Amino acid sequence: MPLTEFIVRRLLQLIPTLIFILIVVFVLVRLLPGDPTSAILGDRGTDADIARINRQLGIDQPIWVQFWLFVKSVMSLDFGNSIVLKRPVTELIAQRLPITVALTLLAALISVLLAVPLAFVAALRRDKLADNAIRGAFQVGLSMPVFYLGLILLTVFGARLHWFPVGGYGDTFFDRLYHLILPATTLALSLSAILMRNLRAAIIGVVDAEYVSFARAKGLAPRLILIRHVLRNALISTVTLFGLSIGTLLGGAVITETVFAIPGAGRLMVDSIYGRDYPVVQGLTIALAVLVSVTFLLTDLLQAYLDPRVAR
Amino acid sequence: MKLFSAAALSVAVLLGSTVSALAVERGGVMTYGRYADSLFLDPVLNDANVDIWILTNMYDTLLMPTDDGKGVQPGLASDYKMADDGLSVTLTLRDGIKFSDGSPITPDDVIFSLGRATNPDNGIWGFLISSIASVESPDPKTIVIKLSRPDPAIIPALTVFNTAIMPKAAFEAAAGTTDAEKAEAFSQKPVGSGPFVLDSWDRGATMKLVKNPYYWDMGEDGQPLPYLDGVTFEIIPDDATRILRLQSGEIDGAEFIPFARVAELQAADGINMQLFPSTKVNDIIINVRPQIEGKDNPLSNPLVRQAMNYAANKEAIVQIVTMGVGTPLSSFMSTATPLHSGDGPLFPYDVEKAKALMVEAGYADGFSTSILTLAGNQDDAGIATALQQMWGAIGINLEIKQVDNASRTEQYRGGTFEMRTGGWTDDIADPSEITSYFAYSPTIDALHSGWKSEEVDALFEASQSETDPAKRAEQYARIQEIFNSEGPTVALFETPYPVALSTKVQGFNQIPLGNNIFRAAWLEK
Repeated sequence: MPLTEFIVRRLLQLIPTLIFILIVVFVLVRLLPGDPTSAILGDRGTDADIARINRQLGIDQPIWVQFWLFVKSVMSLDFGNSIVLKRPVTELIAQRLPITVALTLLAALISVLLAVPLAFVAALRRDKLADNAIRGAFQVGLSMPVFYLGLILLTVFGARLHWFPVGGYGDTFFDRLYHLILPATTLALSLSAILMRNLRAAIIGVVDAEYVSFARAKGLAPRLILIRHVLRNALISTVTLFGLSIGTLLGGAVITETVFAIPGAGRLMVDSIYGRDYPVVQGLTIALAVLVSVTFLLTDLLQAYLDPRVAR
Repeated sequence: MKLFSAAALSVAVLLGSTVSALAVERGGVMTYGRYADSLFLDPVLNDANVDIWILTNMYDTLLMPTDDGKGVQPGLASDYKMADDGLSVTLTLRDGIKFSDGSPITPDDVIFSLGRATNPDNGIWGFLISSIASVESPDPKTIVIKLSRPDPAIIPALTVFNTAIMPKAAFEAAAGTTDAEKAEAFSQKPVGSGPFVLDSWDRGATMKLVKNPYYWDMGEDGQPLPYLDGVTFEIIPDDATRILRLQSGEIDGAEFIPFARVAELQAADGINMQLFPSTKVNDIIINVRPQIEGKDNPLSNPLVRQAMNYAANKEAIVQIVTMGVGTPLSSFMSTATPLHSGDGPLFPYDVEKAKALMVEAGYADGFSTSILTLAGNQDDAGIATALQQMWGAIGINLEIKQVDNASRTEQYRGGTFEMRTGGWTDDIADPSEITSYFAYSPTIDALHSGWKSEEVDALFEASQSETDPAKRAEQYARIQEIFNSEGPTVALFETPYPVALSTKVQGFNQIPLGNNIFRAAWLEK
């Protein structure tokens, strides 16, 4: 069973990766200047206050003692308590990460819905008006900074037209989905631009390939050729790109989350880094690493399905 | 007859105006957009303005600050009296006061709450009430606070958030063994003494407060406060989005409006752009140690610092950074701080005088130095680049180093910085807090600058137990005179709190100490 073996092999590869990330994040966050207490107290704390609170937090202990406690807590899937927010890190991750995942998935869906059909139109009408118009429009989407694009969407579709709420995050499932549409569109516009360009180039490469000419010569229906031969082969490189982009999206939704006032993991991560909230940074990094690794695994599987040579 | 009708008319007008002033409308939930969420809502263990500024809505204190933030009015205690020897304060608790769960507020709760607040292991605010030796209750209505020394700031200190009254029984029943653990558990579902109580908290997104049905104070209509059924805080970190949500009517108020947008919102329909007086001051903190990391430090020369003060055009900086909303400082403390003294701007802009001072100090050719600014902070960037240009005119080559807050704090506390931007807001309606941090060297080395004045230290210590208000005012006038003329800062400007409200919102107040007061806020229907 080569596919099962492939999955097992990839999962085993995940273990050293995670151990490496565990060590790197533990060391890196402590290499940053400053410590949680002075970050929290800012300018006001006296030396005595800081020493007392560091003792209460256990930050005054030797680094190897702290690392051992950290490893023990990771083993039991408990990342300790947030220093700033005083809540268990697992609880914070459980609250915040699903929001970012939902935002990312919705953005991915919207970008695929935009990119795939338009890439076909552009590739099959190469260098004609439609191709140039599509590429031009995506170029604008790609070059606009996310915070600016987000504000424009908020101003037009939120404040002016009242089609969507102006940021924030709803109470019920559908309300939340509704709140996520504008931010997901913001993220999707730049992602779909990259996907569209990649897929268009791949389609153009495949359309001219000999086996497509052969299929055409055989007299297969054009639609069948497009789906079975062109799309499947053209998608291989785009799927890789798509998987990588989702990894970036997961960690990079900070600006979107800030502009749209969504309490996601990106904002939590940035706030925690600024606050030197070691346990949250560590826990969230590991959770994100697992998510990204799983995404890459799924990408590889999809690729293996599209191109069986990959799994070999 | 004519006279009579005129009188009748004026009575009618008077009545009419009284009636309209009484026409508060009850009910509704006010939604308020905040730039950042709270972190930890414990009156004693908190350490950030995001907590402090809303805590007073959930917990009442024995005394309360007046609306202008400068004075004291009765709170849970209806009456207070300082003993003639200045060594004790006697307070009378109100009749029938209750916590939000309906249980009575007793002297035990007061003794417990002040005991937590004075415990040196708890939080960083104990210094404000360090004079408290013990708290006693001779009878169920009376609280006697015994002091270890006369303390002129103890009355305003009893209005500060860390002396808020919490329910002893409910707190002690919370899960955990240590005070910190209990505080964490209790703050999840607190029982409070303030006009509102926490109902739900979706961190980073929404915090809902609901009306405390047992609140003691009465509104203008003779019914208990608060008027609102609740207050909902929405966390909207982006300034532009916060304003958009207010403009689209999704929220009723938005805090921290960028100064660049104040004029636009003042002109906007349906928006009441408020500039609440504040104690916020902005300055440059200068490291005055003779050497920094082994190198000679020109900034240790008072003449150099005076030259820098004269060469800094404060009016221009007010225009550049605050779009004219701020005012140049007339002392290191804000004009809203009690015992502030000084009437004109400090060091009026004078480049020639600054150049002469540089020559006199032996730096005719100038020198190079640096300033730490917060990365991404527009105000800091504006201040630093303006000063870079202004000080360039007297030969000072200023390098701007952008760092994040924790890095800045490390260099600041370690005394390795040369200059940094600084900001301060008072937490108590008394000059002692700011003076202790800015000028009194034993606290934090005068803003970690290494500056020390024997006279200021002695005056401050004397003022801390000076019960004669006139003498204390003289001491503070002298402290300000010394610090303002030779201290380790370049005083820049003070700014109000820019809050944009829907025109439906009435009775909301942000006092100069920063506290957002919702107890008498109401919404026009």
